[in-house]
Amino acid sequence: MNCGDVRAKLHAYVDGELPVNEITDVDSHCVECRECAALARAEREFRQLLRRQPREAAPAELRARIVSRVRRESVVALGRPWLLAPIAAAVAAVVVMVLLPARTPPPLVAELVDKHIAYSQIDRPAELTSADPREVTEWFQARAGMRITVPDYSPSGIHLAGARLAEAHERKAAYLLYEKGRTLLSVFMVPVSASDATLPGRHVAYRGADYVAYERKGFRTVSWTDGQTIYGLVSMLDYDALLECADRLRAERTRQTQL
Amino acid sequence: MALVHLDSLYHVALRLTRNRADAEDVVQEAFLRAFRSFHHFNPGTNCRAWLLTILRNVFLNRVRTQGREVLETGMGGLDYAEVATEVHADKNPDEHFLQTMLHGDVDRALTTLPLAFREAVVLVDIEGLTYREVAEVLGCPIGTVMSRLSRGRALLRRALGRFAREHGYVKEEE
Repeated sequence: MNCGDVRAKLHAYVDGELPVNEITDVDSHCVECRECAALARAEREFRQLLRRQPREAAPAELRARIVSRVRRESVVALGRPWLLAPIAAAVAAVVVMVLLPARTPPPLVAELVDKHIAYSQIDRPAELTSADPREVTEWFQARAGMRITVPDYSPSGIHLAGARLAEAHERKAAYLLYEKGRTLLSVFMVPVSASDATLPGRHVAYRGADYVAYERKGFRTVSWTDGQTIYGLVSMLDYDALLECADRLRAERTRQTQL
Repeated sequence: MALVHLDSLYHVALRLTRNRADAEDVVQEAFLRAFRSFHHFNPGTNCRAWLLTILRNVFLNRVRTQGREVLETGMGGLDYAEVATEVHADKNPDEHFLQTMLHGDVDRALTTLPLAFREAVVLVDIEGLTYREVAEVLGCPIGTVMSRLSRGRALLRRALGRFAREHGYVKEEE
């Protein structure tokens, strides 16, 4: 393949739409040709930018309206027996879907997962690169007047990598970045607002405290609130590790606020 | 029939109609139509693509009756030759400004794309459909999907570059 062939197939290549033999052809061309490799990388980054766009969920009223319209139509159809079988199937399908627990996670936690993904794709996710919890605490205090608890997970091999000010649900949030080997752990702390419902999801008790576990896009999240702040941990790490980290942060936070 | 796809449909409808009230109307109408023709749906095939096809038809019908959208591949004020050159020359892969774009910028840039390109970009890049599924939804050959997609992405890049300069994310003509 020459540069012309590769560029003609670049979009399909990046979109994973090429047959395997052509993928390997483009791959081997890109090893040799820095220009084409740079184009492929730029194309991929552009796609990632689009992929991490926040998605507005359908309003709850719209969902309710559709269900009620569908129900009404199915009642009308009762007068026309020949329509019954397919409609019964459709109503059953609609009703089942509505009664199922929402597949979409609570919006705030969903946003935290998306942010975790976005940060893990950029070169320097942290504004402040530091492995020192005290330095990070002082940075938040100076930068945003936030009193943040920065737990030390290093005994478990999870190392602090840095921090940044993030935004979640239009609120200023603290973001801590940890690494275990090459696996990232994001810890978010978002101020509670009146508009927050209770955190839905699977409730998990761990060492006497209540947490909410949720999975999205292959990432695990553990979240909880102390009434002032919503804490959210996002990672590929398993739930045991996440709960242990959550427990330690909670304990550390309690200790600090009692001082 | 899958209200699980409601968010996805609503999201696509927002991108097509560019406003919430119209998007809600289009989604509701699409679900009702899907419900009425549920017996045409072939279980085992892609439910979301089927729903999106209906959604798009509802949208196009509204456009025809209300005449709000330029239907075909008008270039939205951009010169075709210019866009074509950009697609094929691809001379500037170092788009650092992309890292600095805000979500609102991408939204705004998307709304400037003519419908034919916007829908290809939204379905592939944002909704994650395959070329084949998009071809099914748009009722066109895969080759057409590919060309609209690459032109759409080029137009979107241009628009983002323009925003980046306007907002001072990058200096004039870097």
